[in-house]
Amino acid sequence: MIPPVPPPPDPPALIQDAVQPPGPIVEVQTPTISAALTNSEIEVDSSYAGAALVLYGAVFNPGTDPVDVVVVVRGPERPVRLVRKVQVAGLWLNSRPVVFEGAPAFYVMASTRPLSEIAGFGVLRRMGVGLDHIRIDAPEEERTVNLYGVRDVVISRLGEDYLEWRRAVIRLKERDGLYRADPEGVRFVDPGLFRAEIVLPPEAPTGEYQAEVWLFQDGRAVAVRRNTIQVRRVGIERWLHNFAFFQPWLYGLVSVLLAALTGWAASRWFRRT
Amino acid sequence: MAATVSARTVDVYLPIAEVSVNAPLLLALGGLVGFISGLFGIGGGFLMAPVLVFMGIPPAVAVASQANHVVASSTSSVLTYSRAGSVDYRMGAIMAVGGALGALVGVELFRILRLLGQADLVVAVSYLLLLGSIGALTLRESLSTILQRRRGEPARREPARRPLWLYGLPFRMRFPRSGLYISAIPPLALGVFAGILSAIMGVGGGFILVPAMVYVLRMRAAVVVGTSLFQILITTAVTTVLQAGRNQTVDIVLSTLLMIGGVLGAQYGARMSARFRADEMRAALGLLILLVGLQMGLSLFLRPDDPFALAPGGGG
Repeated sequence: MIPPVPPPPDPPALIQDAVQPPGPIVEVQTPTISAALTNSEIEVDSSYAGAALVLYGAVFNPGTDPVDVVVVVRGPERPVRLVRKVQVAGLWLNSRPVVFEGAPAFYVMASTRPLSEIAGFGVLRRMGVGLDHIRIDAPEEERTVNLYGVRDVVISRLGEDYLEWRRAVIRLKERDGLYRADPEGVRFVDPGLFRAEIVLPPEAPTGEYQAEVWLFQDGRAVAVRRNTIQVRRVGIERWLHNFAFFQPWLYGLVSVLLAALTGWAASRWFRRT
Repeated sequence: MAATVSARTVDVYLPIAEVSVNAPLLLALGGLVGFISGLFGIGGGFLMAPVLVFMGIPPAVAVASQANHVVASSTSSVLTYSRAGSVDYRMGAIMAVGGALGALVGVELFRILRLLGQADLVVAVSYLLLLGSIGALTLRESLSTILQRRRGEPARREPARRPLWLYGLPFRMRFPRSGLYISAIPPLALGVFAGILSAIMGVGGGFILVPAMVYVLRMRAAVVVGTSLFQILITTAVTTVLQAGRNQTVDIVLSTLLMIGGVLGAQYGARMSARFRADEMRAALGLLILLVGLQMGLSLFLRPDDPFALAPGGGG
């Protein structure tokens, strides 16, 4: 029924939480999933150029039906301000900005197959899995209706344009490398054992990231495993950032004095040579 | 297991801009802009802001951090000009008071414009109108001077064409170094204007100040560049403190990288300036200003690649 799970080649060690039933037994065990990250703390220092994380995991008791694994990593929520370019008298101008109160600052989805083959639209939408289904808090004056057979579709004062604005947020974030979908990002390296690589660009903000590993079977999510990733500043990066944000006026003065000193030193040095 | 992407050792992560950039490239950019700054007696910010934004640095951080870079390069230049006796500190101080007031207004104005999503538009229009017109005027004037010189015609002297209203205003002061006895109001107003530009466009305002000092105030040519740099120094220092205090947009790592290249470049520029004829320098500066203005303004007329854009200030 289930292929034997070999010991993983790398930490983390997996604990086989179920013994394989001997022979054709009626007892049905629910599929479960286990996953761990090679690194759950990312340190941002002055040489930080992004980070790559490897997520390892195993599927237990998958039963006879094929299973799919979907990994979602979300960054901290941040507001997004979006403007639309409109042509006025031959000039391209910005419309009033629309503020989306909360959208993940970073979103990566990796799966074993294209999402549309794994589960239906409604299931994915409810779970917020996939670029098309990222939960983005709509602008003010919103209401929710049932649309296209899907519950809880948000309609705001943007009206029918709402979807276009929403897609623009995702498209622009994708262009900046902050949103990504990789339908082949999760690979089974051995029966039951999978691996995914998550790349954080340096533009991804610091904060707490949530990694969700979903196990899908027959179009439904049957198990989930959640982990957190901390991205934090260390050393001089942390010190400078705190200085700039907690003592901004002093920081400004120090910046100016440093600049004046640099200019003075250069002038002195050049006069002598 | 290693988690950090193998970083090229020359890349440095900027703490405020929150991007990773190539350090030698920033040093070179600072050096080039510093050289132009020392050569023409301008801050050079109008060149640097577009390049920094192109490199992926958020515009607000680029504008504020380069103001700090201009502090360093102009300090270095002012000291050089000062030794040659070509800074009118009295004129410069009055313009700097105006500059500080203008920076106060400009930083607030820029905040409001960003919230309205119109900062891009105002920056593009400012670049197009100001740089375009000043570049064109400077170019035309200097080319006609050069042509006259080539034809062997005597240079037209027009000292009496100083606008009359300069004399009609109150608060007249003597500016011995500039060879002027005029009201303090025009230099103050000029300073206010440069201060606003400093905050909005991230420029020192030298490209406005130098022509205005030459053609409107008719200051003695020898002190124009040094005095304009002195006013730029004070204005950008005030702008830096205000941007850091109000908006937290000054990236000290970015500005330090720019200024190391900048001060070296500015020294060479200030020395080289003596080797060229004034009219040829003005022609080159005019052309440069015109091109940057047109390039920035072009964005207003071209269909954008994407009808939507993320506005700064949303944290995203």
